[in-house]
Amino acid sequence: MQIKPIITYSGSGPLFRSLESQILNAIPLDTCEWRRTFQRPTKHVRLEAQTQQFNVSALEKYKTGDWSILEHPILHIFVTECNDVDTYKATIREEIDTWLKLLTSYGISDWMILLVETLDMRKTKNFMPRTTVLDKIRLDFSTKNDDRCISVLNPAKFEQKSTESFRCLVQRIRFLMLTSYNRNIVKYEELIRSKREKRNLDGWDFRQYFFMQEDLALIFEKLELPTEALIQYDELDAMFSQFITHTGLNDKQQWLNHFRRPLDAFHGICLTRPDRFEMRNKIRDESVSLLEFRNYLFERQAYLLLSCNDIPEIAKRLLNFLFSTLREVEFIKLECQEGALCCWEFVCALEVLQLCEQAMEPNEVTCFQHCAPIWNLAKDKLYELGKLCGLLPGSTPTSEQLHIVVQLSSGIGDAPPEQRQFLQATPQLRERSPNRKPKKSAAEQLKEALGSNQAFQKLYLELAELAISTYKHVARLRSARLVGLDLGNFYCALNEPHKAVGFFTDLLRELKAENWHMLSSQTLLELANCYRKMGDSLAYTKTCSSISCCAELETLVRTFYFDEFLKSLKTLRTTLSAQPSMENANFCVLEDHFRVLDIEVVNQKPIIQDDYILVQLKVESLYPRGIVAENIKLCYELQAAPLELAMENVSLTSAPSAVKVKESKSRLNVSLQLVYKQDNRLHSAAVSCDMPKSKQPVRRTSSTKRKLSPSVQADFTNFVQAENIALQPGVNLVDLKAKATRVGSWQFKQLCVSMSSLEFLSEQLPFTPPSFEISTKPASATLEFKTLIAGIVQPITLNVSGGSFIFPPDAKITLRCSKNLRIRQALSIDDEAAYNNDASFESLLQVPLLHFKSFEERKIPLEVLTDMPGRKVSKHHEHHIALTCPWSRTELPISVEFQPGMEATCRLHTCGTQKFLQVIMKGLDADLLLQHAQVKCDVPGVQLLDLNPEPHQPIEIYKSLTVTYLYEIQVEPLKTEHELPVVKVHFVIKYAPLSQPDVWRTYGCAFDLVDYTTLFKLQAQLEPNELCRLRTVCNLNLKITKIHENPYTDLMYEVLNDQNLWAVCGRSAGVVSMKDVDSHSISLDVMPLSTGFLPMPSIRLSKYTAGGKSKTDAHSKVHPFPPGQVYNSTKSMQIHVIASVAGDQ
Amino acid sequence: MAFCIAVIGKDNAPLYLTTADMEQELDLQYHVHAALDVVEEKCLIGKGAPESKELYLGLLYSTENHKIYGFVTNTRVKFIVVIDSSNVALRENEVRAIFRNLHLLYTDAICNPFYIPGESLTSKNFDRAVQKLMSGNA
Repeated sequence: MQIKPIITYSGSGPLFRSLESQILNAIPLDTCEWRRTFQRPTKHVRLEAQTQQFNVSALEKYKTGDWSILEHPILHIFVTECNDVDTYKATIREEIDTWLKLLTSYGISDWMILLVETLDMRKTKNFMPRTTVLDKIRLDFSTKNDDRCISVLNPAKFEQKSTESFRCLVQRIRFLMLTSYNRNIVKYEELIRSKREKRNLDGWDFRQYFFMQEDLALIFEKLELPTEALIQYDELDAMFSQFITHTGLNDKQQWLNHFRRPLDAFHGICLTRPDRFEMRNKIRDESVSLLEFRNYLFERQAYLLLSCNDIPEIAKRLLNFLFSTLREVEFIKLECQEGALCCWEFVCALEVLQLCEQAMEPNEVTCFQHCAPIWNLAKDKLYELGKLCGLLPGSTPTSEQLHIVVQLSSGIGDAPPEQRQFLQATPQLRERSPNRKPKKSAAEQLKEALGSNQAFQKLYLELAELAISTYKHVARLRSARLVGLDLGNFYCALNEPHKAVGFFTDLLRELKAENWHMLSSQTLLELANCYRKMGDSLAYTKTCSSISCCAELETLVRTFYFDEFLKSLKTLRTTLSAQPSMENANFCVLEDHFRVLDIEVVNQKPIIQDDYILVQLKVESLYPRGIVAENIKLCYELQAAPLELAMENVSLTSAPSAVKVKESKSRLNVSLQLVYKQDNRLHSAAVSCDMPKSKQPVRRTSSTKRKLSPSVQADFTNFVQAENIALQPGVNLVDLKAKATRVGSWQFKQLCVSMSSLEFLSEQLPFTPPSFEISTKPASATLEFKTLIAGIVQPITLNVSGGSFIFPPDAKITLRCSKNLRIRQALSIDDEAAYNNDASFESLLQVPLLHFKSFEERKIPLEVLTDMPGRKVSKHHEHHIALTCPWSRTELPISVEFQPGMEATCRLHTCGTQKFLQVIMKGLDADLLLQHAQVKCDVPGVQLLDLNPEPHQPIEIYKSLTVTYLYEIQVEPLKTEHELPVVKVHFVIKYAPLSQPDVWRTYGCAFDLVDYTTLFKLQAQLEPNELCRLRTVCNLNLKITKIHENPYTDLMYEVLNDQNLWAVCGRSAGVVSMKDVDSHSISLDVMPLSTGFLPMPSIRLSKYTAGGKSKTDAHSKVHPFPPGQVYNSTKSMQIHVIASVAGDQ
Repeated sequence: MAFCIAVIGKDNAPLYLTTADMEQELDLQYHVHAALDVVEEKCLIGKGAPESKELYLGLLYSTENHKIYGFVTNTRVKFIVVIDSSNVALRENEVRAIFRNLHLLYTDAICNPFYIPGESLTSKNFDRAVQKLMSGNA
């Protein structure tokens, strides 16, 4: 169909015809700017035109409002070549006038007067006429619009010169055409509107209206406005739909009957039709079926969209087109063969898909987005047809079905012959792969598929795969899986369950991930079916197990599969197929079958190494009946050490001198962080929430995605377990236990329930699993005491720290004391008799540890008593207590030191020949009472006379207090020192601690008396003895007298004086020989250096051994006498020294 | 009026789903599930644009018998309504009204302090009201 704007001509017809082809050829050569009304954007349009002789009858319709913009002449041209003003005035003027009046009478103002100048005025006559014909015409007819009058040099005669004027002419024609369109389109639109208003009147015919509006659309299309053309079609589309669905079938719309032809043909749309307007004529000429009309409408829309390069829109519109058409067919109750509409839908779908396929860029998602559901639809429709015609797997078409196939095939129709121009018109289209064989048309494909089961299967699988891949390409995974379900079912029907499994598994994963339980349980049923067919007993068992745990399914189904599960589980043990085909195939998701409700560590904290960890597991079984789990294990792993707080880098200072972190035990690990500079000034303070990335503080259990099979088995080296546990439906409490072997902080990780070869592994425990501590600590026993004092009852504490040792109920600690140390358990001081009973002290004590628990710390008070040491020793009194503890085989010696409560010393005093023994009791740390001091001497001939007053009361002694006892020693004269070199004297005294005044213990001390005989007597005398003056030399007379015969002959005397008090003039020491003499007198000169009562210079007498001649003994030796052998009778005498005479001062 | 009304949580797990026809329930569930694809697509497109207040997503997709509409709340809870596509009398405004009412009902239901967000909606009141809404009597 040719659509070209019509231009009429009047006046000189032959002249115009001579120009006609030139003009018509020139018009499309260039574009013209089209200034449109109502602020619509200007556009550059390339026009075409056809010419007609002016004909009044064509205008008649225009006047009555029954015109079509398509047939309406768009420009009227009056042509003349008159160049003589007189001729013009005579005839032409009249002609033009009538022509214009005629046009005006029809309300047409789109005219043009063309003056063709054939004679060259300038050549023939050498003067210019005063007025030309053109001026005249302009003056006469176009006062307002002189652009409608134009002259042109006849191009036939002036080939060179005419070019410019001709170009102007063509430009003017284009311009006037567009101006005319502006006017006429507005007018035509008004006409359409008014026509539409009348749509509910009797006798209104949609088809008339359709052509009317379509004409406008065609004009728009011609004027390169496909979008506006599309609007016209869309309006028509909507209007048609509305008529059918809303108005329904009433008598008014008689025209609808035209569309009610039975659908014996159901050709699909064809986007590659050679004659696009084939159907238009058919609609005009005869009735078309609804489908044909709809097809035409969609084809037109598709064509226009294609001109806009909007192929995705075609795909987008297709489904709506198909569905609404189906509804319309239903509404007007069209009869059609079963399956006919499926065929139609299929062909339409494939036609659009083929177009899209050629046009699509792989990266352009929008088109694929629309294509995916179309593929799916095509697949579904094919399936329906296959079902209808007995082409599904497993069935063979009956003769009736074959008949249907034949009928359908004829109805599908043949594809129009190949025509490529349509597609090549759009530059965007491209050839995918040149050597790909040209695709068969949709109709051909369908026919082929309906022809045989094999072809059907092939096409169905192809479509399904394409639908899936397209859905996946546009990331509509759920939809893809849904197609996969259909495909899986198809494979099942094909008896190829192994191919179906993949699709079902994918779907199941998707559904489970989003907790669509009802759908996932359905998919499980499909899977179980597949596995049974495949004979994969392991997978079948797993699936049966899962199904039986689906709460959404009916109990009957669940119990059936539960029985299947148990049956299959038994066979698993025997059959070879139980060998997992791949690794971890025997793993199942625990969460599908059990729900872990709670995990509680029953043990008291902390758990001691080698003790049993007792865990109570609260688990809900989802099985419909009770089941026995051979093994339930709950593994635990070492808890990661809490993250070290990162030390913050502090600029300027080398390192933060102090980081103070205040830990808090709130749910969020918020801590205060203070960073100090080196000079202890606060550098920064911060509150930090330390959050390990792996663990979210808040996790919603519902958000966790569920998997099909657990991928990871946690480390099961440490686990608590229980064996052969019957699990009833609902909540079960299971006690798990294991020996705590390794020390550390542990956290439960994964639960594993084993049944036969199946292992149900938990994916993630639904709550933060409890952690527990396994620890060990050595037991220890120590003795705790302060300064211990010998001789009195001393408290001492046995500290037993249990550690992680587990004590037998009758455990005890044995304490073995060293000699003289005795021990007992502390007694209450209230029970005085028992307390005071020293016999209760033993040297071996067993301390029972009754009901001693691990980690208990117990203090056991003990009391120790040791004898008071008789003699003063330089060191403390050392004792040992050896502990034998239940946790150790070796004795543990603990040294215990005692300090004496008091000490006794003795001194020998001499008075001339009388000898006295002084016993000095020095109080030390203890407060004691003393009484009954006694000395004993068993040596015959030696008597000790007690010179002490008879005490009436015990003497109290305490620290730094001394008590002295004095005894005179009387040795019988005959008993000389030679006979008794040593006299042993025992000093015994009773003492009682002040706190226990009734308990008298005996303190004994032995003294050895030696050198108790006075051998020499020393006398010193100062002369003048009455008056000594300062710095006056005095005479010191020494007299040494031998009292007892003795072997010491050479004596050395020394004057030991205070250098400040006395000065010895001359020798201060000398040696005298007492050989054969009884006494010796020595005179020395001394001088007092100080006034007052001065002590007599003291004299020391020593044994002197003169040096021998031999070399070894060359030096003289001096040995002092022990104190008892020399008696200085003038010791501690004082000399009164007075100041020297005045003259001296 | 509507075939199926579904409330779907933000993690795409169904919180509530009811169908007018029990026999079709499975099929409808599959459809609702697949509709989530389109919901995600539309939400993704909406993300780039400045925060729009429009919660109504419009027609998600249609099949021969069903039209599936979507609505997403600010907390990414999705409402899916499946209506009969042969019911041409049902206008888009009415679908919007269904969603508006459903949103109100949902808000009421989750205002229950004992309701834990993310759990399925088991409120009888909610169910009754949704059934009413589905039959067009709301």
